[in-house]
Amino acid sequence: MVIQLLNGMQLAMLLFLLSVGLSVVFGLMRFVNLAHGTLFMLGAFVGLSTVEATGSFWWALVAGTLASAIVGGLLYLGLLRRLQAESPLKQVLVTFGLIFIGLEAARIIWGDYAERLPGPALLAGSTALFGVVYPTYRLFVIGLGLAVAAMLYFGLERTRVGAIIRAGVDDRTMTAALGIDIGRVFFVVFVLGCALAGLAGVVAGPVLSVYAGMDMGVLVLSLVVVVIGGPGSLKGAFVGAILVGMVETFGQVWLPEVAGMLLYGLMAAVLALRPQGLLPAGPRP
Amino acid sequence: MTPPASGTRHVVAVLLAAAAGGYWLASGYYGKELLAETAITAILAMSLSLLVGQAGLVSLGHAAFFGIGAYALAGFGARLGWPPALAMAAAVATGAVAALLVGLVAVRLAGVFFIMITLAAGEMAHAWFLKDRLFGGVGGMAGVPRLDLSAIGIDTGDPASFALLALGVAILVYLLLDRLVLSPFGQTLRAIHQNEERARALGCPVGRYKLAAFVVAGAVAALAGTLAAQRSAFVSPELLTWTLSGEVLIVVIVGGGASLLGVSAAAALWIGLRHQLSTLTDHWMLAMGAIFVVLVLVAGDGIDGAVRGLWRRLAQRRGP
Amino acid sequence: MIPAAMPPALAADGLRKSFGALEATRGVSLSLPPGRRHAIIGPNGAGKTTLFNLLAGALRPDAGRVRLGSADVTADGPDARARRGLARSFQRNSLFPGMTVEAALMTAAAIAGGLGAVFWRRFDRDRGLADGAAEIAARVGLADRLAVPVANLAYGAQRQLEIGLALATRPAVLLLDEPTAGMSPEETRAMQRLLAGLPRTITILVIEHDMDVVFDLAERVTVLDYGQVLLEGTPDEVRASDLVRRRYLGDRTG
Repeated sequence: MVIQLLNGMQLAMLLFLLSVGLSVVFGLMRFVNLAHGTLFMLGAFVGLSTVEATGSFWWALVAGTLASAIVGGLLYLGLLRRLQAESPLKQVLVTFGLIFIGLEAARIIWGDYAERLPGPALLAGSTALFGVVYPTYRLFVIGLGLAVAAMLYFGLERTRVGAIIRAGVDDRTMTAALGIDIGRVFFVVFVLGCALAGLAGVVAGPVLSVYAGMDMGVLVLSLVVVVIGGPGSLKGAFVGAILVGMVETFGQVWLPEVAGMLLYGLMAAVLALRPQGLLPAGPRP
Repeated sequence: MTPPASGTRHVVAVLLAAAAGGYWLASGYYGKELLAETAITAILAMSLSLLVGQAGLVSLGHAAFFGIGAYALAGFGARLGWPPALAMAAAVATGAVAALLVGLVAVRLAGVFFIMITLAAGEMAHAWFLKDRLFGGVGGMAGVPRLDLSAIGIDTGDPASFALLALGVAILVYLLLDRLVLSPFGQTLRAIHQNEERARALGCPVGRYKLAAFVVAGAVAALAGTLAAQRSAFVSPELLTWTLSGEVLIVVIVGGGASLLGVSAAAALWIGLRHQLSTLTDHWMLAMGAIFVVLVLVAGDGIDGAVRGLWRRLAQRRGP
Repeated sequence: MIPAAMPPALAADGLRKSFGALEATRGVSLSLPPGRRHAIIGPNGAGKTTLFNLLAGALRPDAGRVRLGSADVTADGPDARARRGLARSFQRNSLFPGMTVEAALMTAAAIAGGLGAVFWRRFDRDRGLADGAAEIAARVGLADRLAVPVANLAYGAQRQLEIGLALATRPAVLLLDEPTAGMSPEETRAMQRLLAGLPRTITILVIEHDMDVVFDLAERVTVLDYGQVLLEGTPDEVRASDLVRRRYLGDRTG
């Protein structure tokens, strides 16, 4: 039971790292980057190559995060920004096309085989906690997720940049009218979201296996997180991630036959009761 | 946006059917297989066209209903041993029920959210069949029976006959959906697409109409799925992948969205192109993704205008 | 003329609506007997649009009731109210830009008539709908433009179609949201004639900025101010009221 709770928490934190970018980008720009999972996969693969080259998980963490941030930034500047003036639908569909390209590119560069990214030696082994023995690395994942959540919360609530982002989520025309370069805010938030996706990819490497196509499963889970949590909100992404992580984990253990349906049921139930999601931020279009 | 109500579409329909017939006469074994695949893809694309082109609902999970139809046929026909015709009807009904369950959640949400929900629901269905034990999980299941038409002297086991059968079903689906598109129901869907707020103010229970369109599209997609399962006598989770949903959406965009004949012709074009690409490279999905991105980029207002937008741009390039 | 026992065609009772700290509508009541022409005026920010949306069903009130005839429609959305005989126009044209004038009018009638569920007949060959569309088009002055795409109509003609779509539903009650907004004086006069010519079987409530239109059309006028009814009376009473003059008419030189 405690082990499943920790497993659920670990999945929840991975999902949080992945969904928070999606969610806040949606709150600001009203579109969803379906290639977000692809950036997660990119982070994992770059991390894998870095470990193979340097032998260090920590360098992999840096390289994977940076790679996703850079590719995400280029995507934004080269493609998505141009579509900002057009419909959000187009942006979403373009990013859907990018999933195909990302998948095949990954197959070409890294091949078709699943590999496990070796975790850091420092965190190998297990730790006794709450009366159970639990892999130390997984505790690290939970801790990292909580730390990032705390930092983002502090950043959004207490800093000037955070205030601008919150204002942008609430009312973007008004924020732009205040003389704030909203385009730059979009860019920074988008790249930060991509970096977190890359970070999640590397961190997930030792837990899930790394392979071309690993992106779709997590993308769907994080879409559910965004829809359930209420788009645009950090708290929503956090609460949504925990709900989805727990339902998914306990579903697989207790009701493996219907685990998929369970998640759909959760989403349907939340939307039936609260069409805006649990903790929405800002007005919806 | 408004469908061509003129008689010219009948001429185009007959020409398309004649072309398919001519190909059937001229082609060998492989050509017959391609023809059946084209007919199946055309049915699937026409069903999505009802959603995208008429109601303006862009679904990224349409393959789920295709796959559910195929699996349901395997379940009723192979596992339970029902006669294939009855199993097919039950499979179509299963597709409709699945679409109802997804639609009840999805049609409440607009635009980007609708896309997210359909993609998520489709992938969940895919994950379900990856794990299930009844139908062989990842490996899938063989032994799906074909429709028995021996009573009227047709051996559907023969690829040539099966291709004709698939073509016949595609023509029936075209006639049915053409009727639907040109009816007050179709007009109401277009009204919702063009101006949902106004449609509601005129007294239209918008959600119910979207749901009806979603269910019809799901049922027709399931019908296409039953044919796909019969063609290969095999079902696997591949039938429900998001890549297939994406492919069909490309076909619909290329075919002009709202035009049933346009998307059918685009289906033929796409199947041909895909076979060419896949003989050239293992990574044809790369090209497909690029095509997808370019199509969306050049689309004017609304993705159903993609091809028109492309022509316009080309014309502008050539102009002074 | 009208028996006293007959329920009002449209009635609002104690409507309230707040947006956060802003109380946009603070206890507004109205009652329109069948056939009445009623106008709502008030300075910008008086809560006219909120009240309109509460009546049309686009917003739900925090408190109070809305009745159409003998039916309580407070809990109904815009579509359910429309099916009970309420039609509305929009301040900003809200049309079907991809259709012709004829198709748009036929569509409106088909939706209102509950024909939308019919899937076996041809829409474009429905004589009844086409005849109805021609009749409405003639009424709103678009008889010669039936085949014109809505998107190609001039602004004034689009405003006429805006009314036409509402009329195509054969409403008992018609809510008009600034029907002459953005119109030239000439177009405004045409719209005035159009509205004056509507049959008495239709009860009309109009929000309007142009006082000539209001005093020309309305038999009763409600003056809103800060979300409350400042005064309700005949056009002459409203014109004569010092209170209204100070609060509203005096503010405007036009």
